[in-house]
Amino acid sequence: MTSAVGYLSCLAAIDLSGLLAYNTLIVAAGTAAVGCAAGVVGSLSVLRKRALVGDAAAHVTLVGVATAFALTGRRDLPTLLAGGFAAALAGLLVLVVMRRYTRTRDDAATAIVLSVGFGGGIALVAGMTARGIPGSAGLENFLLGHTAALTARDAGVLAGVSLATVVVVMLFLKEATLVAFDRSFAAAAGWPVAVVDYLLVVLVAVMVVVGLPAAGAVLVTALVVIPPVAARQWTDRLGTMLVLAGVIGLVSAVTGVAISAVVPRLATGPVIVLVAAAIFAISVLFTRWRSPREAA
Amino acid sequence: MSLAPPLVEFHDVTVAYGRRPVLWNVDLTISEPCLFGVVGPNGAGKSTLLKAALGLVPLAGGMVRLFGQPLERVRRRVGYVPQRETVDWDFPVSVMDVVLMGTYSRVGWLRRPAAAERAVARESLARVGLEDLADRQIGRLSGGQQQRVFLARALAQQADVYFLDEPMAGVDARSQEQILAVLSGLRDAGKLVIVVHHDLRAVTDWFDAVALIDMRLVAAGPTRETLTPDNLRRTYAGAIDVLDEVGRAVQRRSRTP
Ligand SMILES: Nc1ncnc2c1ncn2[C@@H]1O[C@H](COP(=O)(O)OP(=O)(O)O)[C@@H](O)[C@H]1O
Ligand SMILES: [Mg+2]
Repeated sequence: MTSAVGYLSCLAAIDLSGLLAYNTLIVAAGTAAVGCAAGVVGSLSVLRKRALVGDAAAHVTLVGVATAFALTGRRDLPTLLAGGFAAALAGLLVLVVMRRYTRTRDDAATAIVLSVGFGGGIALVAGMTARGIPGSAGLENFLLGHTAALTARDAGVLAGVSLATVVVVMLFLKEATLVAFDRSFAAAAGWPVAVVDYLLVVLVAVMVVVGLPAAGAVLVTALVVIPPVAARQWTDRLGTMLVLAGVIGLVSAVTGVAISAVVPRLATGPVIVLVAAAIFAISVLFTRWRSPREAA
Repeated sequence: MSLAPPLVEFHDVTVAYGRRPVLWNVDLTISEPCLFGVVGPNGAGKSTLLKAALGLVPLAGGMVRLFGQPLERVRRRVGYVPQRETVDWDFPVSVMDVVLMGTYSRVGWLRRPAAAERAVARESLARVGLEDLADRQIGRLSGGQQQRVFLARALAQQADVYFLDEPMAGVDARSQEQILAVLSGLRDAGKLVIVVHHDLRAVTDWFDAVALIDMRLVAAGPTRETLTPDNLRRTYAGAIDVLDEVGRAVQRRSRTP
């Protein structure tokens, strides 16, 4: 009973006028572009079975964001994201080196990079917050995503990078599909499969970095992984899957921004993830009900 | 008669995974277009031999020449059917999409296959009898049909030398006949077709020449002279489960002159 009353009073605190504020609309548009691009890039990553590598890159970004802040003292988004991107690339490099020069298997190497990078990031952020370094408290927004603090200019940067990423995917779609489907055949036909693989991993790194403000280092992977997997339920065509994944990513992102804009102190990332997961669940249920697949 | 270089040459090829050699000093030359079988027990290095020819594994020693040239110069003239385990059958591509991949080398970076490539792909599909299934997702085919799609993709490469790694593994009798007929057709059109195959009976019936491999090259030459009981025993030494099959193949062979 009391909890119900608490919930109602919480609802009363919701300020719907915030939803239509100019800045919120701009931020929603920018985040929509991010969600859409994440679905498209993520589709190729999932098909290449690189979901976990993306997750490692995402967690490692935190240490880069914190380091960029510590070194420059600046907290504008491009600076922090550049730091996150550098850290993601460094993490991926460590992954490659561990695979090649140590007797560590892929899954173990990925888990190590993920946890060490994230642990380092948390330690840095906590250390700076504890010392009361001005502005360091804002870094926590990169943990779970917090779009309310974004400016219109930030949203423009995020949308621009997202758009560029999608363009690159479209340009190399043929090559990426070939390598993801049949690596041996691609290599035998003379395609530089390693180059195509690295290109894809870098695109995923870009995507998790621009997804940071929306979903945070912990949850941004979901934005890259869930929409493609949900889209795959509906279609056997790659083109359709890319479009659907983009739409699902967009809807999840916009819903996340809208709900977290009106509910006080609710981070954006968890909402985005829950919306995407709900779409995934509906996709599975509906497509199974429509045409139950023969057990494969 | 002709001054043309041999189609495929392996010179003292040695391949190792880590420290363990899986091919040792293999020396093999194939000069004429023919249907050529590569035979040997599991783990003998048959797939590795094809991968060495295709530049997919680094050579620890020796060298490979195709048409008398290094591979890089002649990749466009080489077709490949990898072992079926290498791909993800749940991938969202249609049969047509997969066959089109055979034309990608000619299409090149950044461009999409055009009408000409689609025509080649459709024709290749027709040659393996799958034109009706062009729009099917690749996973929704039988094993035999999947192998025929892979064969169609290799046909779409329009190569002069084809390497096929167990194209008849897990295939029904009808698909096997169909695949063998297509391969014979390629041979008759002047192509060299190199096939890893474990059905000794089909090898005896259809193949012009064979190489017997067990890490080393045990023997190579025209099928009749090479598939001798003695050579087979040396190749399959220790592989008890196949001795029976070897015995039957040898018996058959001695009955048909
Ligand atoms: N990528 C690899 N790494 C390590 N060992 C391998 C690899 N590929 C094959 N091998 C080993 O090399 C040997 C030859 O393999 P392969 O050429 O596939 O044999 P075949 O095709 O005749 O069955 C086998 O013992 C196999 O276990
Ligand atoms: Mg093999």
